[in-house]
Amino acid sequence: MSTVANIFANYYQYFLRGTRTTIVVSLVTVFFGALVGCVIALLRISKFKPLSAFAKLYITVLRGTPLLVQLYIVYYQLNFIHYPSGQFLGVELARVIPCIIALSLNSGAYVAEIIRAGIQAVDFGQTEAALSCGMTYPQCMWNIVLPQAIKNILPAIGNEFVTMVKETSIIQYLGISDLMYNNGIVVTSTYNPLPCYYISALIYLTLNIVLGKGLNIFEMRLKQSER
Amino acid sequence: MNGNVLFDIQGLKKNFGEVEVLKGIDQKIEKGEVVVVIGPSGSGKSTFIRCLNLLEEPTGGKIFFEGVDIMSKETRANLHREKVGMVFQQFNLFNNLSVLDNVTVSLRKVKKMPEQQAKDKAMALLARVGLADRADSYPSQLSGGQKQRIAIVRAMALDPDVMLFDEPTSALDPEMVGEVLKVIRDLASEGVTMVVVTHEMGFARNVATRVLFMDGGVIAEEGTPEQIFDHPQNPRTQDFLSKVINVI
Repeated sequence: MSTVANIFANYYQYFLRGTRTTIVVSLVTVFFGALVGCVIALLRISKFKPLSAFAKLYITVLRGTPLLVQLYIVYYQLNFIHYPSGQFLGVELARVIPCIIALSLNSGAYVAEIIRAGIQAVDFGQTEAALSCGMTYPQCMWNIVLPQAIKNILPAIGNEFVTMVKETSIIQYLGISDLMYNNGIVVTSTYNPLPCYYISALIYLTLNIVLGKGLNIFEMRLKQSER
Repeated sequence: MNGNVLFDIQGLKKNFGEVEVLKGIDQKIEKGEVVVVIGPSGSGKSTFIRCLNLLEEPTGGKIFFEGVDIMSKETRANLHREKVGMVFQQFNLFNNLSVLDNVTVSLRKVKKMPEQQAKDKAMALLARVGLADRADSYPSQLSGGQKQRIAIVRAMALDPDVMLFDEPTSALDPEMVGEVLKVIRDLASEGVTMVVVTHEMGFARNVATRVLFMDGGVIAEEGTPEQIFDHPQNPRTQDFLSKVINVI
């Protein structure tokens, strides 16, 4: 225990710097992942066959291949893009943007399935009733189905966000100095890996507890307004 | 009489995959009629009534509503449905909305009525079915009978030209059937045109101006309540009525 405290006292800058990167990448990824997820979910439930077929293929491919492989493929495949140079909060943009793209595309596939399941869990009678009242399909979705679906979606999407925070740890393989990357630096300079991993584990745990609490509050608010 | 015809249904067919549920139905439904559809389950009653507001897309035949071919590509289903109110067996109140909003949502979103005007109209209608005091409740807090009365109000709010009832009392506890039937009976006595699918034979006899007996996807017999209930001609009608009326 004292070793853990010792190492943290001496190397906390590394851990904090890494944590900052992890937080930034996680937040951006969660945001774009949700955005991609919404779009793919819309395509997936579309009645226009080619669109829903594309969404289905997208989901199958991204859920069926390892995230690490996707990360490398995106990194090398998109190397023709001239990413903006420079840094943001200590993160080199040219390296981190492909990571965020890969993570968001991956997360989007899972979020899309969560949204689709949440929408389909709403009784079809609700849709029929809305249509029979003269609403168009978009009006019915927006006013009746989605407000009910969101209550099915939120808990599952919270899980996905937590998973995403943890999965950002793979971006160390592209040399992004996130928490795990900095963890590695401390390991090599102390020759004492175990305490370092405990520290990193604690930091990830803290991040996810805070994230979980935030989502809980959001869910409670929704329950109050809708019963 | 032609000016009074609301629905002119010609050779209506509906297939679900290989199964032919409606095998060609010809009917004219006129303004002010209360048409009650009876028949054994699986005979196509619900499918028939759901075709009338295009919740089911017919696979053959034609439906004219107020002279307009509602199956043509130019007809927008949502505009047709504004004129055709529908009440479901399972109520299908919007679970995310209060009773008041259930009634006003289509007024506000579809008819673009100002909020206060929609509210006044909804409250007046709720008062008529004795549920004005439940305006702020949510569907989950109501009994089945209350839900169905509100579902009727919700459909009536749009001032439809015809009301469709798809087994409105089949999902209710027995002691709540009466309160819902009373509301429907009141509407009928006010001259609201309606098509009602029901298993309540006593109600059918009292309220109907015309009874259709459906069996196997066709209208096997039709006539006044007296003709159908007292002197059925078709053996299948006789058989069906003997089963549903003589049960204790």
